[in-house]
Amino acid sequence: MQAGLAIIRLDLVFEFISGIIALIVTYYATKAYNLTGQKRLSDLSTGFLVLSAGMFGRVIGTWYFLIRFGTDFEAGGVVITIVTIAYGMSRIMAYILFVIATRPPRHHHQEVTGGSMLLLATFLVDPGLEVVAIIVLVVVVLQTIVNYMSTRSKFARYVLIGFFLLLLSHIMMAQVVETPGFYLLSQAAQLLGFLSLLVLLVQAGRVE
Amino acid sequence: MRILADMMRAIQSEGEEGLGPTKILYAANLSHDRLTQYLEELVEKELIKEKNPESENRIYLLTEKGREFLKEFVRIERFSEAFGIEI
Repeated sequence: MQAGLAIIRLDLVFEFISGIIALIVTYYATKAYNLTGQKRLSDLSTGFLVLSAGMFGRVIGTWYFLIRFGTDFEAGGVVITIVTIAYGMSRIMAYILFVIATRPPRHHHQEVTGGSMLLLATFLVDPGLEVVAIIVLVVVVLQTIVNYMSTRSKFARYVLIGFFLLLLSHIMMAQVVETPGFYLLSQAAQLLGFLSLLVLLVQAGRVE
Repeated sequence: MRILADMMRAIQSEGEEGLGPTKILYAANLSHDRLTQYLEELVEKELIKEKNPESENRIYLLTEKGREFLKEFVRIERFSEAFGIEI
């Protein structure tokens, strides 16, 4: 029980940190849009804003579920279903915006009880939405590969790594129902993806 | 925006010596009319200034505000191009 609960709590911490990084990217993209007027930067900014809103919504919703219902999945079923669908939809919306923004220019007993807590992980996942997210994110990753191949810049590499890790996290998440152990791995991959974007912001900001 | 940044980069590359309109025109690949229009805009925004306003030979220097703007532009440029967005 304790181990399973710790995993869910750790997952929420990962999600919260990822949400903060997504907000920082939103701020940066908005600043870039205000300076240049480039519409795609506005799409990028909106995408990261929607993504961070979904993440914070999930953290708050899951936390509320755990406090209010504990391990009583049946009683809190409606809450967790709403949170899961809203989270999944917000991510798909965000990824569609990323596809638009990054498109290339014209010319991605204790053990048993602990296990039952891990079962919550399978309630926090909607495999259908994960599959849609994977398909959209594959397009984003392909576009970032094209961009990296044409520029070979280290900044484009950070974006490619970031989106690839996000894709990896969704692929693992889609298998959580069969293998609940993937749940935390998936969240860790997502966090690493956002950390890669954070490194991009730090490196891009260094100007002599 | 990129044209203005290219003009400012050309001026910055000459440091304290400054740069005349003809070299700026070649560096930014502009017509004479547009060059005049953009130079006026940059002076108006205090991003560049004339080295000797009394002299007939116009030489432009980057202002402190211009240097800061150019640094910010480089950050934005790196960020945007990392996502494959041209500005």
